[in-house]
Amino acid sequence: MVMGQEDFGAVVSAHHDEIFRYLRRAIGPAGDAEDLSQETFLRAYRAFAALPKDANVRAWLFSIATNLAKNYFRSETRRRRAYGEVQGGARAATSASQEAELLSREAGGLVEGIVQRLPFKQRLAFTQRKIHGLDYGAIGKNLGCSAESARAHVFQALRKVRHGLDGYGLLPGEPAQ
Amino acid sequence: MSDKPAVCVRIADDLLATAIGEASPSAAERVERHVAMCGSCRRELQGYRALEGAVATMRAEPHPSEQTVQARQRLETELADLRQRLLAYRIFPSPLGHILIARSELGISLVEYLDRGTTLKASRLANEPGVETAEGGPGLEAIYRDLMEYLNGRRQRLDWPLDLRLARSDFQRSVLEATAAIPYGAVVSYVGLAHDIGKASATRAVAQALRWNPLPIAIPCHRVIGASGALTGYAGSKLGLKQRLLTIEGVPTTKEGDGPAIRARAMYVLYPGDREYCIPTCPSLDTRKPAPLTRFGSRRHAEAVGLAPCTTCRPDLHPISG
Repeated sequence: MVMGQEDFGAVVSAHHDEIFRYLRRAIGPAGDAEDLSQETFLRAYRAFAALPKDANVRAWLFSIATNLAKNYFRSETRRRRAYGEVQGGARAATSASQEAELLSREAGGLVEGIVQRLPFKQRLAFTQRKIHGLDYGAIGKNLGCSAESARAHVFQALRKVRHGLDGYGLLPGEPAQ
Repeated sequence: MSDKPAVCVRIADDLLATAIGEASPSAAERVERHVAMCGSCRRELQGYRALEGAVATMRAEPHPSEQTVQARQRLETELADLRQRLLAYRIFPSPLGHILIARSELGISLVEYLDRGTTLKASRLANEPGVETAEGGPGLEAIYRDLMEYLNGRRQRLDWPLDLRLARSDFQRSVLEATAAIPYGAVVSYVGLAHDIGKASATRAVAQALRWNPLPIAIPCHRVIGASGALTGYAGSKLGLKQRLLTIEGVPTTKEGDGPAIRARAMYVLYPGDREYCIPTCPSLDTRKPAPLTRFGSRRHAEAVGLAPCTTCRPDLHPISG
């Protein structure tokens, strides 16, 4: 109890699924989100006892998860370079499942596919803001930039997604809901 | 974008902010005024609003997917495993030097006098196999406070849950458990303790087991002394510390002769198994087979554990003076 295991059980219940979903988008369907979310919570557990009582646990988990995603992305990039794989955009190789999503007429699925092809930082910023509703200050901290730049990343991402939807007949005149 | 009228380019940022509900009222008003006149920006605004709708469907994931459930289950297993081996610790200054206190989820597992430094590196935890450490938090603060109160003589019981997994053997564990039962303000000998655990000839092994006591103070190995009354040893070479702890508990000691020792003649005694305590010269003791005695620094501490004054020597009427 002194270490707060019971509390940590509650942390897992409250946040695991969200962090897992975040990581799945952050590193893409080809990456091992399960490993990263595992690592996020094991790290969090080790540091949990030293966390100030009034800390924002959810924001803290997002920052751990984001750091792990960044490291993963860096090493993936290195690995792909080493193997001479094509490197276009953040994640050039479009998996079969992404292809399927792109072909889907369902707007959410379509957006999902476009988000996967955003540059890494924009993808993180977009996901943190639009899916998980973090504020720009927290996003900036996670990405190592100012709240202003975090906002710029989100806006840039929105523009790209918006234009990626052109030609699918989902926009004006045919609301996507 | 560059072929857009300048006014549309200027308002593009506010337009996007308006679509996602992040624009200031005045900016939103400007945008509304503009799109009322500008068809292409109106479509742009509608486009972003439609995108908001699509994003909302991504946000809502009412049922966790099978992958999510699987990941969660695997996490629970790994966490249970980590809990088993994780010790949270903190290092505190104290009148006895720096002290490291560590705990697992079962209880306090280590109290360690740090001689060689003030960081984890100076601790046996740094080399303990199968143990992971994490610098701990507010819970250990309360343990430290208890300890300080004890050292100031304001607390006699340390009712901490203990985790004896750092003990090196079952034998050591049994020695530690017997030691934990020695009352505040009392001393027994290594011989007596060996008797207590049913290994009368294992005096030396008992002393060794206490030398590596992972929980000094909490498991009061300072209350175990030589049969002659000499304090003998403590945590390696901290005899002065042992004397200090005994003094806090009101056990009379002296430094005369070969080294620190208790003043046995100034202490009340308890014959094994008795419910009454005596003065050391009680005639009833002479009639019985010699056995290792428990000694108390004061009547108060003897009576605190439920003992009554002996009806033969009447320590209540004839207390030991000085």
